[in-house]
Amino acid sequence: MKRLLFFLVFPLLVLGAAMLLGPPGGPGALRILRWAWDATFASGRWPAPDDLLIRTILLEVRLPRVLLAFLVGSALASSGTALQALVRNPLVSPDILGLSAGAACGAALAMTVSWIPLQPAAFLTAVLAAALCYFMAMRRRSVSALSLVLAGIIVNGIFTAALTLIQVANDPFKLQTIVHWTMGNLHNAGWGKLQSVALPVLAGSVILFLFRWRLDVLVLGEEECRAVGLHPEREKILFLLAAILSSAAAAAVAGIIGLVGLAVPHMGRMLVGPGHQRLMPVSFLLGGVFLVVVDTFARSVALFEIPVGVFTTLVCAPFFIVLLKRATAAFGEG
Amino acid sequence: MPIEICDLSLSYRERPVLHRIFLKIPEGRFSVLLGPNGSGKSTLLKAMAGQLPSPAGAVRLFGRNLSEVPVRERARLVGYLPQSHHPVFPFTVEEIVLTGRASYVFSQPGQADRRKAEEAMETAGLTDLRRRPYTELSGGERQLVLLARLLAQDSPVLLLDEPVSHLDLANTARLLAMVRRLTQAGRTVLAVLHEPNSAFLYGNHFFFLKNGTLQQPPHPDRPWDGGFISGLYGVPLEVVPFQGKAFLTPGLF
Repeated sequence: MKRLLFFLVFPLLVLGAAMLLGPPGGPGALRILRWAWDATFASGRWPAPDDLLIRTILLEVRLPRVLLAFLVGSALASSGTALQALVRNPLVSPDILGLSAGAACGAALAMTVSWIPLQPAAFLTAVLAAALCYFMAMRRRSVSALSLVLAGIIVNGIFTAALTLIQVANDPFKLQTIVHWTMGNLHNAGWGKLQSVALPVLAGSVILFLFRWRLDVLVLGEEECRAVGLHPEREKILFLLAAILSSAAAAAVAGIIGLVGLAVPHMGRMLVGPGHQRLMPVSFLLGGVFLVVVDTFARSVALFEIPVGVFTTLVCAPFFIVLLKRATAAFGEG
Repeated sequence: MPIEICDLSLSYRERPVLHRIFLKIPEGRFSVLLGPNGSGKSTLLKAMAGQLPSPAGAVRLFGRNLSEVPVRERARLVGYLPQSHHPVFPFTVEEIVLTGRASYVFSQPGQADRRKAEEAMETAGLTDLRRRPYTELSGGERQLVLLARLLAQDSPVLLLDEPVSHLDLANTARLLAMVRRLTQAGRTVLAVLHEPNSAFLYGNHFFFLKNGTLQQPPHPDRPWDGGFISGLYGVPLEVVPFQGKAFLTPGLF
């Protein structure tokens, strides 16, 4: 019962509340509620002209946006959870694999060369960056956590450099679009975008959810993992594939959403502890709810949209600092 | 024959570590592997546990070539307790012990797995600690947790790498007595130990390793006799007779 409340009622409430809120000047929450009541219980009534407006705002703008925010947030948080276990480091997020730098580079390229489709390009370059990390880090057919993180820094550098190059070569107008994209964007969400991101995110999420307990084993280290009967390299590939699929799709559709993949898993650990049987579902949920809430703020507090990536970074940064202090203290002891 | 080693030589970065090892681990006994630091004991244990790639046919597990036994199946036959281990996240004792069931689990551990973990914690005397975070335990308690995980794994052969290195006197005695009971119940154990006295007290079969080669004691039933151990470690030792066996202690020098 408590679980049902947490996993179903709580997110639905947040999603519902997010649907009611919008920029100042739009239809108020009460009007939307009345419309929703009428539409459900008094159907058959002729819709008034402004009802049509509310309907469009709600079903064509806000609903896909809220769902997209939920999907992206939960993809980033769950991939972050898996990666932190995989490399046995609590200060890691999907960004370490160069995913967002890769996605940004691909997106910029697509905005420069008109015949390249934006989202597939961003997705492919993100996957390419992550794959590059993996193969750079490979030594004697095995990938250590440390070399993966170091390779990630290099790959991040390469793609950031390429992005800068593309930006320099562009005219100011395109430059502005590129910069806007990299700041993280959910504002042009639509059913089309949601559709294109749903499949890879769901595929990755199913793997992460189904095999989440193995992360408890993997986090103990390779030797222990092998000793109890899991092939560490195979498991690593499985979880990397799932995390990359899911977070590359998220980055391709939403740009750079800073720190969600790092901070949310820790919030989850504070709530339910480090065991992945409970942590993974909580990460899905918390990541989604977190991004929906932050995005609702980003689009409602001012007349213009504040890029959501800026907001998530501002919210998560203090959290990260506390975490860093604690982690270094713990490493000092050990 | 649980584990048989036939002409195993291994080197680490061009430096030879093990040289032409032949040995058979007797079934249902508490075997102990003794030798000075750097003699290759841990490497030998790792090779048996499949943690190191070893030449085909050199390590045989119940008559089969070890490298041909799939990881999952191997884990159900051989349990391996590595030396100390550094946890990153504060998992509870219960969660750590449960990971011993990994070779039986596809997606999530079930009731039977939880029951096995429960029994293992009881055997290791950890029931009171089950909800405590592993990161907050003392070195000795951690070792017991890892042993409990090994028990949950439920394999007939156990390979222990210095299982008592962090334990005090009482816990050392408790753990070694527990291991001996396991062998009496039919399991096969090979443990690397540092201290010859506890080895002779609890173990009933011995292997000696020096500079990567196995050493034969002149009196296999009484390896403490004839200055053999003193030669093994390269230190003069006094031999004190005790209950038909002997205690060894370095002299003052």
